Amino acid sequence: MRCPVVLFILVASTASSLGCVTVKPQERALLADPIMQFEGDQATAAQLRHAIENREGSYGGAGVSGGGCGCN
Amino acid sequence: MRLQLTRWTAALGLAGALWCASGVARAQVVTFDTAHTFYHEAPTRTNMTVYSPNTALKASPWSWLDVNGGYEADIVSGASVATKAGAAYQATNPGADVISTASVKDVRHRGFGGLGLKKDDVTFTGGFSYSTENDYKSRTLNLALRTDAFDHNSQFEISYARSFDLVCDRVQSSTDGFARFRALEDSKGCFTDVPERRTRDLVVDGFQGSWSQSWTPELVTQAVYSAQVLNGFQSNPYRSIIVGQGIKGQEHHPENRARHALALRGNYYVRPLKTVFRLGLRGYLDSWEVKSVTTELEAERYLGERLRLALRGRFYKQGGAVFWSDDYTGGDVPLGPKGQYFTGDRELSPFYSFLVGIRLGYAVEAQKSRILGILHNVKVGGSFDVVHFNYEQYTLGGAPVGNARAFIAALNASLGF
Repeated sequence: MRCPVVLFILVASTASSLGCVTVKPQERALLADPIMQFEGDQATAAQLRHAIENREGSYGGAGVSGGGCGCN
Repeated sequence: MRLQLTRWTAALGLAGALWCASGVARAQVVTFDTAHTFYHEAPTRTNMTVYSPNTALKASPWSWLDVNGGYEADIVSGASVATKAGAAYQATNPGADVISTASVKDVRHRGFGGLGLKKDDVTFTGGFSYSTENDYKSRTLNLALRTDAFDHNSQFEISYARSFDLVCDRVQSSTDGFARFRALEDSKGCFTDVPERRTRDLVVDGFQGSWSQSWTPELVTQAVYSAQVLNGFQSNPYRSIIVGQGIKGQEHHPENRARHALALRGNYYVRPLKTVFRLGLRGYLDSWEVKSVTTELEAERYLGERLRLALRGRFYKQGGAVFWSDDYTGGDVPLGPKGQYFTGDRELSPFYSFLVGIRLGYAVEAQKSRILGILHNVKVGGSFDVVHFNYEQYTLGGAPVGNARAFIAALNASLGF
């Protein structure tokens, strides 16, 4: 019973805090720059991942495109 | 021949239509990407070399539609460990050369295509790919949904992929147990009606959810959860394992595997240094009890307006699968038999690796007029990475695999029309 309550509080507080986080459009110049992409360069990141994933026992967690700039 | 000409005419017509649309509808409509990766592994007795070319074409005839397609290949040459034994067996069978390596030459072809639909802050993408090689075929369907929220400061994405794979295997005698199954000799007769060959199924379901968040004008973070469920044949059909005195069996992995990964990453731009730092952490575990952690750190900055330089490092450490043993015939712990499954796959053994690398990228955007009269932008890049592997238990007949290194060189280019 305690876990769902804690989870609810966590989700509710996170959601409400997200609404408070506002980077204004005029402040997004840097976030929109390709250098702020999560994997730097998607093409080379995919190439490297393809090369090394076959040599490890793990998988997943790869970055998705975009850098949180909301400019796509 | 006439049919081929018709197809080429249609393709040229489509390209021409997109080209015309480029001048009317939007500045950039077609993007051509190509990437080439060279992987060389030494000195692990395999000397595996892989060349992976990749080309892709993406067209955006309207603002709400993207269509993409492409081709990639893996051209493999080198050797693989065909028979695996460990220190205990080698000690009781001195002089027995139980490690054998087999020459490998194969080409994997993969074609892919998909589309993206966008309305307001929501983007839907779907795609299909088909890959084939002498002993393996795969068909994959993937779907993804992405949306922006909270004034574009948050992005959420969920995706699902399902693969239907076919693996070539050898027909075994019905009276043999797994420990006496014989490994596949070669790929001759695979996916035909040859009575010595059979096809095994592997179905892979993958799910991923991610949340990206802009916190300040210099800080963005991302959390990604991935899950994958595999059901079917997952062994290397060519590999044999010494499982007892004079007993050699085809590698035998469980048919089910559930995998989970959680990754957290953040980008922080340090204005005084004009450099972005990227930190990534990933934890992974699966139902074979492989557990791993990955740490990545990267720093990147502009050198001038168009050139970008990045330095990166990566540390990876994993534990072995519950049924991993370097020698199933006996010996002191951690050697010895581990139940009904046996493997010679070093990727299921405990090891750590670290990577260091450098990446350069150069991008030019057209200003008043197009570059060379036709290009909206041009990007070229290259990278070089060195990976060092340290295997804690994996040996070749009791001889540790030391100084195992891989060299990865990559080149890529992107042209926007």
